[in-house]
Amino acid sequence: MNRISAFCARNIRELMRDPLSYIFCVAFPLVMLMIMSVVNTSIPPEAGMTVFRIDKLCPGIAMFGQTFVMLFTAITVAQDRAGSFLVRMYATPMTSKDFTAGYLLPMMIIAAVQAILTFAASLIISLITGTSLDPVGMLITFLTLIPSALMFTALGLLFGTLFNEKAAPGMCSVIISLGSFLGCVFFDAEHTGGVMLDICRCTPFFYCTKSARSALCLDFSAGSYLIPLAVVTACAIVFTTLAAVVFGGKMKADLS
Amino acid sequence: MNAIEVRGLTKKYAAKTAVDGISFSVAEGEMFALLGVNGAGKTTTARMLTCLSAPTSGEGFIKGHSVLTEKAAVKQIVGISPQDTAVAEKLTVRENLELMAKVYGFGKDKVKARTDEMIEMFQMREVENSRAKTLSGGWKRKLSIAMALIGEPQVLFLDEPTLGLDVLARRELWRAVEKLKGKITVVLTTHYMEEAEALSDRIAIMINGRLAAVGTLAEIEEKAGVSGLENAFVAIAEGGMDK
Repeated sequence: MNRISAFCARNIRELMRDPLSYIFCVAFPLVMLMIMSVVNTSIPPEAGMTVFRIDKLCPGIAMFGQTFVMLFTAITVAQDRAGSFLVRMYATPMTSKDFTAGYLLPMMIIAAVQAILTFAASLIISLITGTSLDPVGMLITFLTLIPSALMFTALGLLFGTLFNEKAAPGMCSVIISLGSFLGCVFFDAEHTGGVMLDICRCTPFFYCTKSARSALCLDFSAGSYLIPLAVVTACAIVFTTLAAVVFGGKMKADLS
Repeated sequence: MNAIEVRGLTKKYAAKTAVDGISFSVAEGEMFALLGVNGAGKTTTARMLTCLSAPTSGEGFIKGHSVLTEKAAVKQIVGISPQDTAVAEKLTVRENLELMAKVYGFGKDKVKARTDEMIEMFQMREVENSRAKTLSGGWKRKLSIAMALIGEPQVLFLDEPTLGLDVLARRELWRAVEKLKGKITVVLTTHYMEEAEALSDRIAIMINGRLAAVGTLAEIEEKAGVSGLENAFVAIAEGGMDK
C-alpha cells in the first residue's frame, strides 16, 4: 500500500504541475458548459430541444470531461514508458499491480475533482437561468459517474501502454470525439432515433450519459438508469482488467 | 559469500549476442568496474543483474539470491542508477528521494531521515526544493545515484555515472562515489579508463560481450605487458587476449 500511495502521490504532483492538465481537465469542460448554456438561451422553447438545458448538459459535460482525464492518463503513462524513469522503478520492489493502481487512483481523484467543479458551475448556471437542479440528484449523479471515470481512466492506461507518446494522444482524440458524439453530449439521439440511435446504443458512451442524466432527474427506472449503469459498470470492469493485464504483459516483455 | 556471483551469463538478441557467457565474482564491499567501449555489453550485464533483463542462459546471484528465480529478493537489495538519469522531472530533489524511500517500504520517520542523509551526503541542500527538470546534468546524476542509494541497497549498480558530464562535475561525482567505498558493493560500468582506474578496486574489461580480463590494475597491466590502463586496454582489445 505504501508503494501504491507513493506512486499515486508522484502522479498527482506531476499532473498538478502541468498547466495543460488544468486547461484540458478543468477549464475546457467548464468553458464548454458555459458556451452551450449561452447557445441554449438562443433556442426557442417551441423547438423542443432540451439537450443544452443545464439539467441535461451538466451530466453530459461531466462525462465529456472524463474523456480528457483519459487523455492525460495516456500521456502520463506513455511519457513514463518513453523515458527511463519507469525502468528505474521496474528495478524496485514495485509490482505491475502497484503500477496499475498507482496510475488509476490519482486519475480517479482528478476525475472526481473535475466532476465537483462541473457540478458547482452547473449549479451557478442553473441559478442564473432559473432551471432547478436537485442537490440529491447531483450527489447521485456524482456517484453514478464513478464507473465511467474508471472506464475512461482504464482506457487511458491501455492506450498509454500500447502506444507511444505521439500515437496515444491521437488515439484518445478519437475516443474523445466518439464519446461526445455517440455519448449524445451535444445532441439528442433518442429524439433523432433511427440508425443514429442504434449506433449510439452500441457504444458505452451513450449509457454513461443516459445513466448520469437519469440520476440527475431522479429517474431510477430499469431502462433509464439501472440497465445503462450496469452496461457502464461492466465496461469499466472489462477495460480495467484489460488495462491491468496489458500493462503487466508489457512490463514483463520490457524485462525479458 | 561473495556479493555477486556470475556464471556463464549470456544475453542473445535476434541476430546479436550482447553478453557471451561471462563469469566473475565481486567481493563484499568491493568497487568493481565493468570497462568497455560502447556496445561491449556492460549495460546489458548490469540490467541482467538488476532483474531488468532476463538472461538467455547462465545464472547470476546477488548475495546468494538468483536473478532468475528470486527477483523480489534481489530487487529489495539492489539499487541502480541507470545510464539516463531517470528522475521524475516535475518533482523536486527531495520529493524524488522521498518517493524512492517510500517505494522501499520505509516508514515516515525513516523516509525523512534517509532523505536528509542523502541530501547531506551528496551536498544537495541548495537544490533540495528545485524541480529535477531545472537541474544541471551533474546535479541530476547526483540525484540519480542518491535515489539508487536511498533504499539501503547492499549492491549498487552505477551505469555510466559520469557520461556527458564536464570534467569538474565528473570529479565532484567521483568524490561522491568514493565515499561509498567499503560501505557497500558497487558495480560501475564505464568506458572512461581514468574513471575505472581512479575509483575501482578491480576492473573487468569487456570486449564484444566477453570478459577479456579481470583483476586489479596491476594484474591487468601485468597480463597486457604494458603500463597504464589505457595501454593495457588497447593491448587486450587489439590482441583479443583471453583472461
